Amino acid sequence: PAWGPRLVPARGRKTRHDPPAKSKASRLKVPPPVDPEELLVVIERYRQHRLVLGALRAEFRAEVLQKRREALMSQDGSAELLEEHQRLMAWNEEENARQRARREERLRKEEEEQKRQKLQAAETRARKMEALLKEKEKEVLQLQEEAKSFITPENLEARIEECLDNPRNYNFAIDKEGRIVRRTVLP
Amino acid sequence: MPMKGRFPVRRTLQYLSQGDVIFKSSVKVMTVNYNSAGELSEGARKFVFFNIPQIQYKNPWVQIMLFRNMTPSPFLRFYLDNGEQVLVDVEDKTNREITEHIKKILGKSKETLEKEERERRKLSHPATFGPKKYHLRECICEVEGQIPCPAVVPLPKEMRGKYKAAVKDEA
Repeated sequence: PAWGPRLVPARGRKTRHDPPAKSKASRLKVPPPVDPEELLVVIERYRQHRLVLGALRAEFRAEVLQKRREALMSQDGSAELLEEHQRLMAWNEEENARQRARREERLRKEEEEQKRQKLQAAETRARKMEALLKEKEKEVLQLQEEAKSFITPENLEARIEECLDNPRNYNFAIDKEGRIVRRTVLP
Repeated sequence: MPMKGRFPVRRTLQYLSQGDVIFKSSVKVMTVNYNSAGELSEGARKFVFFNIPQIQYKNPWVQIMLFRNMTPSPFLRFYLDNGEQVLVDVEDKTNREITEHIKKILGKSKETLEKEERERRKLSHPATFGPKKYHLRECICEVEGQIPCPAVVPLPKEMRGKYKAAVKDEA
């Protein structure tokens, strides 16, 4: 080809727009001479050479493909591998089942624990309620007791008389050791 | 260069190449469902944090997807190329146990790996010379104990073709 990648134009000094030289005006471009017999022989030889090379290449290509396909076949679907796979899957299933059992066990334990806790809580609450009620009862009874000694308008006079009759002395002395002394006398 | 992340050792090549789980060629997708909280998911969390980079490094063509807080219990699911799905329950397991488990069920066995290694070594011959991509050496001058490359150290006169030709002409 005229413009192949390795064929650099060798125009040299002039560009394509400059007219050719006067000395080249009578130049006749003549193609190189060809010997017909030689040409035929050469063409035939080249044809055979290319045929043989193409055939060799095709042969090698087929061989490589064959090898690749055979490797793939031997590696892919063999009964042994499938069986191995089945075995491993079965083992995995067993493992999962074991895990399930463990989990159920754990959940059951947790539920029991929770129930126990609830019962305990209910019990403590009940007990607390009871204690409270008892306290309240006691207080009411105490109040009732005290009510007997309350001062009412009826026994007001009597109580006043009583207080006046028995004067109470609240005076006392105390020293650092804590001994109390009641010696003051009411007038 | 600063170290990135909480455990930057996970990003080192040495750590990644220490992963020993290589999946069979039939495994295409690995899905991990786990939770961010809870004692039972602890093993799964550690597995995702420490072991998944190693697995992905060794199996660059396996798609790994992580789902967080979608199910109450953690599990792994593998999708094989014949449509089969393998479920692995990982609740209450340590990350070491999980790796052992998946190595056992879906990893390439040691014999397979050795066989593949041998096949690979058979393809390339260590005694040939050529481009570095396909061969060990390009020229004998690279081997220790041989003559150094004449481009770096000129050959002695007696070994050069022009000297030998000159001597022959003279004689």
